[in-house]
Amino acid sequence: MTTLAPQAAPRPTGEDAAAAPRADCVADSAGGLTFDLPQPDGTGEAAAGRAHLVLRRRDGLQEVRLPLVPAADGRLRAALPGGVDLPEGRWDAFAQTADGPPERLAPGLNDLRSLVDRAPDGARGHVAVRIPYATKHGNLSVRSWLRAPHAEAGELHIGQDALDVRGQVYGTALAPDAYAELTLRKGTAVLRAEVHRDRTAFGFTVDCTALSEGVWDLWLRPAGEGGPRVRIARLLDDIADKKPVYTYPRITLETPAGPATATPYYTGDNDLSVKVTTP
Amino acid sequence: MQISFLIHNAYGIGGTIRTTYNLANTLAEQHDVEIVSVLRHRDEPVFARNPRVRLRHLVDLRRNGPGYEGDDPEHLKPARVFPKGELRHDQYSALTDRRIAEHLSTVDADVVVGTRPGLNVHLARDTRRGPARVGQEHLTLDSHSVALRTQLRAAYPRLDAVTTTTEADAAAYRRKMRLPGVRVEAVPNSVPAPAVEPADGSAKWVVAAGRLAPVKRYDLLIRAFDLVRAQRPDWRLRIYGSGKQKDRLRQVIDELGLYNHVLLMGPAHPIEPEWAKGSIAAVTSSMESFGMTIVEAMRCGLPVVSTDCPHGPGEIIDNGVDGRLVPVGDVRAIAGGLLELINDDALRRKMADAALKDAERFDPARIAERYESVFSGLVARGGASGIGRVRGSLHRTRGALLGGAYAVRDAGLTVFGKERSA
Repeated sequence: MTTLAPQAAPRPTGEDAAAAPRADCVADSAGGLTFDLPQPDGTGEAAAGRAHLVLRRRDGLQEVRLPLVPAADGRLRAALPGGVDLPEGRWDAFAQTADGPPERLAPGLNDLRSLVDRAPDGARGHVAVRIPYATKHGNLSVRSWLRAPHAEAGELHIGQDALDVRGQVYGTALAPDAYAELTLRKGTAVLRAEVHRDRTAFGFTVDCTALSEGVWDLWLRPAGEGGPRVRIARLLDDIADKKPVYTYPRITLETPAGPATATPYYTGDNDLSVKVTTP
Repeated sequence: MQISFLIHNAYGIGGTIRTTYNLANTLAEQHDVEIVSVLRHRDEPVFARNPRVRLRHLVDLRRNGPGYEGDDPEHLKPARVFPKGELRHDQYSALTDRRIAEHLSTVDADVVVGTRPGLNVHLARDTRRGPARVGQEHLTLDSHSVALRTQLRAAYPRLDAVTTTTEADAAAYRRKMRLPGVRVEAVPNSVPAPAVEPADGSAKWVVAAGRLAPVKRYDLLIRAFDLVRAQRPDWRLRIYGSGKQKDRLRQVIDELGLYNHVLLMGPAHPIEPEWAKGSIAAVTSSMESFGMTIVEAMRCGLPVVSTDCPHGPGEIIDNGVDGRLVPVGDVRAIAGGLLELINDDALRRKMADAALKDAERFDPARIAERYESVFSGLVARGGASGIGRVRGSLHRTRGALLGGAYAVRDAGLTVFGKERSA
């Protein structure tokens, strides 16, 4: 695996996408991305070799520079191979030619079909996910996740007083003493759920009547108490923001403390949580 | 030829806007083409424009721009020429009436093309002598109110041609309107070849795309998918689009426990890469004036299972060859159509190949040729020659009288309630 050294980030140009160049993005099933840009006017040969596609993390502290090279159709192409390490976060995409300022890119045609129902091999102990998307300002950014190991959430089933979670681990095995953990985000409460396992597939049931009010984060302990705590997340498709697309019915509860509702949802980082509210 | 399109708003998103760009962009390879947008609310159009197509507006509604005319007192007065029965009447005004009339009375073109009924009325009234007047119908005659149809009957005889998107609607125009000397032609909407590779038929996804509106009957599609899941839980459904039905559809999904199988994806632009993620497309509408999404999906290599609703689907899909037509409103039939293609990989792939090939007839180049032949026929008949001008004005006068007579009869019918609005 190659790691690109973080560099100092220059000041970007504005967020106005009106005249921004558009980048077409193609994803491959190994987690790689290619970006195709129109050749900037009047910079033909000068651009070759000196132009870069710049991915700049939102926190402004890290930057990845990918050389833009002429492609067969007269456009410029940059590649981000699956094996290149891109730390988790939101990365804004810019094009920079020669010594000019970086220019914010707008999304063109994103062909992400190979990300749909993706089943990566977790052989190298981790899963890398990059999903290009349009920001609310109409600019091109890339969401990146890097999980080692990874617990992918699959089907959820809403039951009477209970939530049933199915999933799949990548980059780790499931030990006989594997279990799921629920942690109250604002507090110290920790609950356990017993895990059923079938090779790399896991399943567990959350008794929602045991949950007090608040947001509960869901974790997997694939190797039991002695091993890592893995945040359960849904990452392996083409949908950058799961929250508005994967929505679930409320579970209505009668608890000793009175009526309540529990709703599973995906956070802004596509991690799985359950929100419990009382009227 | 010089061809001038008149459109409601060339800066928005919608089927008519997209299809107008497709046509204008292609015609501009051979002809001098302009698009005149009555309204303009943003700086740049959403759809790609061939740089050879000139684009301008008549009324500036860019809120923070220096030329904003939304507060002009004339724009606050209701329109009198743009017909009241038109859906967009509220967006038109005394100012649009005047600007459109000024434009059409001086337009430098051989052919002027109106893109909605209200603008076609302007074309019929305001166009200077000379250019051929072509009114496009992107909806259908039957979908208009009785009041609007009455107004169209009075105005349309002064057009040279009316184009519809389906043969069924062209037949309705010929049958229900008296349009002597007016050429009525069905010319389907065009859809360009997508910039993405066609789907390969291996993804276990059904895809639908459109406004989440009652007429699309996505509630039926979701219920049908409940039957699909019972047999094939490995297949899932994505519905792209936004609209007022969203909460209602969400409720149906939750009631049926389909939240792992049916996803409401929200709007997507461009849509082609989203079609390419599926292997079957579904349309369950009760009415489609054309059926643009059917052609789009076919061009991306998806066979379409569609209700055989009026007017478009039956004219696009060759049933059993490049897709499947099922009865309107029938959940079991929709599920049956989907399962037929889900359960038979070879049939699905064969239909996908046929869909790709059959949808080529909607290519902008082919559609532009059909328009070109309509336009050049009109220009040869009337347009530029002096004789044509006289003949043209005579037929317009006669048409206007006939249209007037029809208007009287309509008024009577409305009173007695014999004619129902669609």
